[in-house]
Amino acid sequence: MKKFLSILLAVCLLALCLAGCGASSSGSQAAGGSSAAAGGDATGAGIPADQIKVGVIHIGDPADGSGYSYAHDQGIVGMQQALGLSDDQIIRKNNVADDDAAAIQTALEELVEAGCNIIFATSWGYMDYCEAMAEEYPDIIFSHGTGSKSNGTNFNNYFGRIYQARYLSGVAAGLNTKSNKIGYVAAWGTENGEVTSGCDAFAMGVYSVNPDAEVYVKTTNSWYDPEGEKAAAQALIDLGCDVIGQHCDTPNPQLAAEEAGVYGVGYNSDMAKDAPGAVLTSVVWNWSAYYTTAVQNVIDGTWVAGEKVDNYYGGLAEGFVDITDLSDLCAEGTAEAVEEARAKILSGEWDVFDGEIEGNDGQMHTSEYYLDVNWYFKNVVVK
Amino acid sequence: MSQTKLHSEPLLRVVKRAERPAGQAAALRAVAVVLSIVAGGVFLLALGQNPLAVYGTMLSGAFRSAMAIQGTVRYAIPLCISALAVTLAFKMKFWNIGGEGQLIMGAVFASYFALYHANLPHVVLLVIMALAGALGGGLWALIPAVCKVRWGTNETLFTLMLNYIALYIVQYLRDGPWRDPESAGFSKVARFDKNVALDKLFGVHIGWVIALVLTVVIWVYLRRTKQGYEIAVVGESQDTARYAGIPVRRVVLRTMFLSGAVAGLCGMVQVAGQDMTLSIGVAGGVGFTAIIVAWLCQLHPGMIALVSLCFGVMEKGSGVVQSDLGLSADCADVLQGVILFFILASEFFVRYAFVARKKGGAR
Amino acid sequence: MEQTVQTAIRCRGITKRFGEVVANDGIELEVRYGEVLALLGENGSGKTTLMNMISGIYHPDEGVIEVDGAPAAIGSPADAQALGIGMIHQHFKLVEPFSAMDNIVLGTKEKRLPAKALRRKVLELCETYGLTIEPEKPVREMSVSEKQTVEILKVLYRGARILILDEPTAVLTPQETDKLFAILRQMRAKGCAIIIITHKLNEVLAISDRVTILRRGRSVDTVETAGVDAARLTELMVGRKVSLSIRRPEPKDPQTILKVVDLGVTRPDGSAALTDVNFTIRTGEILGVAGVAGSGQKELCEVLAGLLPAQKGAALYHKENILGKSPAEIINLGISMSFVPEDRLGMGLVAGMGMTDNMLLKSYREGKGPFVDRAPARALAESLIKELNIVTPGTETPVRMLSGGNVQKVLLGREIESGPNLLITAYPVRGLDINSSYVIYDLLNQQKEKGVAVVFIGEDLDVLLELCDRILVLCHGRVTGVADARTATKEQIGRMMTGEEVDL
Repeated sequence: MKKFLSILLAVCLLALCLAGCGASSSGSQAAGGSSAAAGGDATGAGIPADQIKVGVIHIGDPADGSGYSYAHDQGIVGMQQALGLSDDQIIRKNNVADDDAAAIQTALEELVEAGCNIIFATSWGYMDYCEAMAEEYPDIIFSHGTGSKSNGTNFNNYFGRIYQARYLSGVAAGLNTKSNKIGYVAAWGTENGEVTSGCDAFAMGVYSVNPDAEVYVKTTNSWYDPEGEKAAAQALIDLGCDVIGQHCDTPNPQLAAEEAGVYGVGYNSDMAKDAPGAVLTSVVWNWSAYYTTAVQNVIDGTWVAGEKVDNYYGGLAEGFVDITDLSDLCAEGTAEAVEEARAKILSGEWDVFDGEIEGNDGQMHTSEYYLDVNWYFKNVVVK
Repeated sequence: MSQTKLHSEPLLRVVKRAERPAGQAAALRAVAVVLSIVAGGVFLLALGQNPLAVYGTMLSGAFRSAMAIQGTVRYAIPLCISALAVTLAFKMKFWNIGGEGQLIMGAVFASYFALYHANLPHVVLLVIMALAGALGGGLWALIPAVCKVRWGTNETLFTLMLNYIALYIVQYLRDGPWRDPESAGFSKVARFDKNVALDKLFGVHIGWVIALVLTVVIWVYLRRTKQGYEIAVVGESQDTARYAGIPVRRVVLRTMFLSGAVAGLCGMVQVAGQDMTLSIGVAGGVGFTAIIVAWLCQLHPGMIALVSLCFGVMEKGSGVVQSDLGLSADCADVLQGVILFFILASEFFVRYAFVARKKGGAR
Repeated sequence: MEQTVQTAIRCRGITKRFGEVVANDGIELEVRYGEVLALLGENGSGKTTLMNMISGIYHPDEGVIEVDGAPAAIGSPADAQALGIGMIHQHFKLVEPFSAMDNIVLGTKEKRLPAKALRRKVLELCETYGLTIEPEKPVREMSVSEKQTVEILKVLYRGARILILDEPTAVLTPQETDKLFAILRQMRAKGCAIIIITHKLNEVLAISDRVTILRRGRSVDTVETAGVDAARLTELMVGRKVSLSIRRPEPKDPQTILKVVDLGVTRPDGSAALTDVNFTIRTGEILGVAGVAGSGQKELCEVLAGLLPAQKGAALYHKENILGKSPAEIINLGISMSFVPEDRLGMGLVAGMGMTDNMLLKSYREGKGPFVDRAPARALAESLIKELNIVTPGTETPVRMLSGGNVQKVLLGREIESGPNLLITAYPVRGLDINSSYVIYDLLNQQKEKGVAVVFIGEDLDVLLELCDRILVLCHGRVTGVADARTATKEQIGRMMTGEEVDL
């Protein structure tokens, strides 16, 4: 596992070096004007690698061995190894519930006290507290994951173009359905851009290889609802779906698929571990791509607290999002089709939400920013 | 002669002792504190930690900088205020286990003004929020009080259950009417306007001043006022209160309202001073810990302020222990539990003694 | 030496301490089979503690208890039972909804007998000892003396041959007491050893063969009952000669202050506490109220004191009905009433508070503003300590730490200090030693002489007959008569207590 990660990291780093400041420039869509002079004028004010201190706030405990906090912490560990930081340069606050204001506040303050230069807050619920603390402590960078706020000087947001990976997984799904009905368990409906854009990208991936197939969406209205997710998957299977994709936290939809003898596409971690008999591939994050980039930027003086810090929306190109290796369950030709799509995205000439796209409401939609997507692609059927 | 098999005298017997002199009781409690630290140390040793390092980190974590001290005080504030709140009811022997719920309802009432009237002048807004918080907590506490005086319901269960209802009300508001429209997909109440924030004094929101003022006010109220006297009499014996012409029902209702109001005020202090939003973690068990604090202090307001601070040190310190020494949060909880256990156990020894069986038995 | 086989229990040098208090101090006691031993002593002299050690509830700190001539370690009530010792407590330990039979077998180890056989066994026991009982009757429907019979059967059923009775007559009428004594005599004849705890001298003289007297935790003497009289016993009990006569000044110019007419009171459970009660209360006179416990005395006091609503009738003060009026309104009429309730620490005083705060109980509202002024209360407490010789470490010592007599002085003192013209006292000497009792009688007489109307609810008929001017007798909430205390006899009062209308 560790070996795999370090190789992955090495690849990422190589990609980063090649892309130069690609990450920040390509991810600056929402960062406003601050990206204009990306990397150029911020000079010399970097912090030596052996002096930098990095704080992390986890909602769970990385020691759990799987799940959200574990995935993030693997990213932190990857960053630490890649940059050669010592253990006492990383300070972790675990089990900080993101609805316990006092705990969040104290955790942030203790990281400030401990002398952290950059603090990664990994859960969405930390956002407002990071914003407030950033104002109070302008010389510390508060880097908040999966959120929507930033201030351009010492409070940024990092998130990924997960839709790119979802598009690839859609290609795989589209080539493996026989009933031409593909299920998708979504945490939220169109009110949530993150989920909806991912669903559309998946559907577009399906459409690109199988225009006859339809994507049935069922929402659970919760990020984490083991029972509801399982029930939704089951309902979709009952409707005739033979591939189950998902955007929710537990592997239950994949387990339901395996039980029913249909295929599935996992999310967050490699769910082939959970349901080897169903999972074609899984859509995954590689957080260390960002953590390494971010800390490197601080070391280099590319990011300077109080002056400039960019938002980060890495995608396939940065190695920040990807799908896991296709399983043996996939039909012949799947790998080739996926590679073709990947090459198209990596080429930079085309992205999933480019141009006008027809929605299932018959309207044409254009999307400036993928997190604003609030419509479904034309082959999506809400169930 | 009948040969009867007799149970022998038990090896140890528990005997109620005469009231200990205050000095002796204090010494016993001091010993308990020392013992608890030793026992906690053994636990830490078993985990492979150096107890001295852990305790040292705990203390330094709580006091190592101005910011740390501020954090410690911030932990102590809600504990102190809610312990004072339940003390009012406990003096009357009304077992108000609902401090948590009353705090939450105070927070809800105060949050309404923070969310929808944030443009009022700062001081006016805060005063309104404080009054609303007190009203919310007070009304929530009145429900079990009314049922108790009317139908003799069990206040312990009643107040306990209301805690959960209060929590669900917050959940409903968060997911429904008060949901932040700007947070797509995540249910939460919007962060309050900056105008709502309680002012700071020495780097901590003025909740600590409120806590200290309340400590004095409640001490005076209980010890020096006619209403405080009534509470004490009702608590000792309702028959006596009736005999003395004290309107027992009115005293119960009034005192429970006050108890809830103080807890509700604590809720307001939390949302405006600490959280700046309404979340289901607003009370976070403080209402329950407050019961322990109140009993530990034998309902003495001054002691409550002091012991709350000690709890703040433990809370804040163990957070630092967790991050600095890699001790998991659960271990820190166990450590706190061990310390509490010893201190509470010492109360038993203040009141009872063990008597060992004499050698050879009675002969 | 000839071993006397008939020795049932012998205590040697029994000492028991509770914290600082030495409850028993080197007590010597012996009881034989076929005799009744009275254990006589004032409250707090250690009688109950000693018996609790014999019945296995406490353990002696020092000393030996011998049963049937052999040292016995009595570790629990079960041990005591195995040794044939049974205790009948002052407060019955019965399961109210269960029948007599069920209560009797409850807790025995043996297999439960079929109802018929059990019934037969119980009735056989009754016959042997001259008891009467209905085995199937639920305990909650029983009278006090029936319940006591069940308690006695309980210990007999377990094969007890040594019986300990703790103040068994406190709850009985004189007639019931006689019945109990007849039973005890029959048991004695069957060879049982009986220890009876009491502080009523006439009962000691009536039933016992020998008396062991305890004083302040020590066994001061054991005497043959035949050779002593009440005065001698009192002397042994108190430690010096005491005059047993109670002063009774003649009433001066008695005026009716309160006329109670057709009073009816219902308890919360719907049963009638008082029915059609008529009587008058007069100034300068002590009106005694006699009756078996629970005959409506408590309700009578509380309804007059305004603590309980009346369903019917009136209490007239110059043709003005005071029932239903608040204490403040009553005071405005010019009557000040003081009520000394029977439950002193549970109603009259706040047990956990000191004297100062207890003085405040009825006066704390005085004075403007929200604060309590404790200075006058403290001064009052200090003056009461001096006037009434109240023994207390200080004005702030919780009154529950004081002895019974001192507690009563605090309560009565406070009430008298409020200068009432009607003083209602419920069992004011209950649980008090002889000295304290006489202090209380004196205080009441002083009030009487000052022209206060005093109501004295009592349980000891001898005292009522000596102290009061008139005696109102209650039975099941009805007045069965008002007797002139100077002429009535104890038997007459006793018959009235059981409901007989007696011509006086």
